[in-house]
Amino acid sequence: MKATWILPDGQEISAEVPAGHHLMEAGVNAGVPGIIGECGGTLSCATCHVYVDAAWAEAAGAPEDFEDAMLDATEAPRLDRSRLSCQLVMGPALDGIVLRVPEV
Amino acid sequence: MTIWTPTDDGQADLTSHDTFVHGAPHNTFQRMRREDPLSWTDWDAGEGFWSVTRHEDILALNRQTDLLSSARGIRMEDQTYEEYLARRTFQETDPPEHTQTRMKVAKAFSPKVIAGFEQQIRDLCDEILEEALAEDSFDATKRIARELPMRMLGRIIGTPDEDLPWLVSKGDALIANTDPDFTDHVLDKMTTDEYRMMPFNSPAGAELYDYAKKLMADKAARGDTEGVLHLILQPGPDGSTISETEFRNFFCLLVAAGNDTTRYSIAAGIQAMAHQPELLGQMQAGEIWDTAPDEIIRWATPALYFRRTAIRDFEMHGKTVRAGDKVLYWFSSGNRDETAFDQPFRVDLGRKPNKHLSFGQGGPHLCLGMHLARLEVRVLFQELAKRLAAIEPAGPHKFLRSNFVGGIKELPVRIRRA
Repeated sequence: MKATWILPDGQEISAEVPAGHHLMEAGVNAGVPGIIGECGGTLSCATCHVYVDAAWAEAAGAPEDFEDAMLDATEAPRLDRSRLSCQLVMGPALDGIVLRVPEV
Repeated sequence: MTIWTPTDDGQADLTSHDTFVHGAPHNTFQRMRREDPLSWTDWDAGEGFWSVTRHEDILALNRQTDLLSSARGIRMEDQTYEEYLARRTFQETDPPEHTQTRMKVAKAFSPKVIAGFEQQIRDLCDEILEEALAEDSFDATKRIARELPMRMLGRIIGTPDEDLPWLVSKGDALIANTDPDFTDHVLDKMTTDEYRMMPFNSPAGAELYDYAKKLMADKAARGDTEGVLHLILQPGPDGSTISETEFRNFFCLLVAAGNDTTRYSIAAGIQAMAHQPELLGQMQAGEIWDTAPDEIIRWATPALYFRRTAIRDFEMHGKTVRAGDKVLYWFSSGNRDETAFDQPFRVDLGRKPNKHLSFGQGGPHLCLGMHLARLEVRVLFQELAKRLAAIEPAGPHKFLRSNFVGGIKELPVRIRRA
């Protein structure tokens, strides 16, 4: 399955992501600048913040309570489609997902 | 010039605080990483424990909170359940309880909020450095490293400046509770049983708590609802609030943990500048500020280890860790792991990537104050480098007597102003 990150300068990075893998982990492995994941995906750092592309917003769903609270602690502004990518798990519904990396 | 050379014989006793007065025993850690990466230590003063010393192993275990729990204590010393309850903070909890408490204060330490402190920090650095650099030689830990986090702490918790030396001396007594320079109640040298229900087994905990209560009452009287101390008292999404004991412990944690770790990061950075002369020029050229703070904090590694407790049996490196065994993640060792860092014993201000573990990276207990720490370190060294033409050691530096906090407590330097 595939995910694509669009960097603030428009550059795109795509990677194969196995089902069940978190998109934070996939972004770190693909060397996407700005996806850091310092807490290892345990909702303690907000350093894997992405804006989900409009076309994928519904499939990605809404953040749960803890993620919602951490989204108030991101470096870049929180927008409607802000998510922490450690909480996005690759699966058939997200195959092809496009994520925009915030400018920081 | 060699920046610093470990002197231990490769078989150092990790349970002895005296081992660490010469700095962390890195010859021992290097041997353990190579020969015995999951190593058992017997201990006559308590239950023995496992040491995890490789960078990749610490990272792999740190996020597995369903296997290795923080809720039985986070230091080498054993605690009874009663002591644990009396002394715990959210550092000693696991998700989801940990997450719920952390959420309340995360925003106060977010990158956005912390970035707003930059000018204030710069002004403080200006004051501190102008005072310290009036002399040609001085103790840089005392005159510089200790001052900045102490004065920032006052801004963060909203205390008057005149209270700060007292507060910080109490924080030192808590966290450096094994060094006779910082406390009259040296943990392993006398019976501290009387204080075993206090944070860090120290009477300073009680004094800090009285101070916090008065501070909160004063703030309430003024209608002041700003700041992190107010946030931590707010109910969580399920309506639960923290207990009085937990609030006391959180206050102690802010005063102690948030303060001396930044101090010892700054001290280690100045020690590196004094021993690696090219660093000053690199700082003055100014291209390394995105990466330099993390490298200085890697070099420092103020939290030498944190402990977890196995929840169930597991196998690793051909050994079996049993449920209930204590497992120590030696960040100090992971940060010198030659498989993760090229030339780990040199300070490379441009190091990138720099996957150091000083903040407990890779797990939920990642340092809450890390953005503040990085900012204080960056601004301090920017302001220091600007003012210096040269800096060199003016005598040997001395480390804390502690196997838990790694820090240079005395750092004599000689400087020439720019």
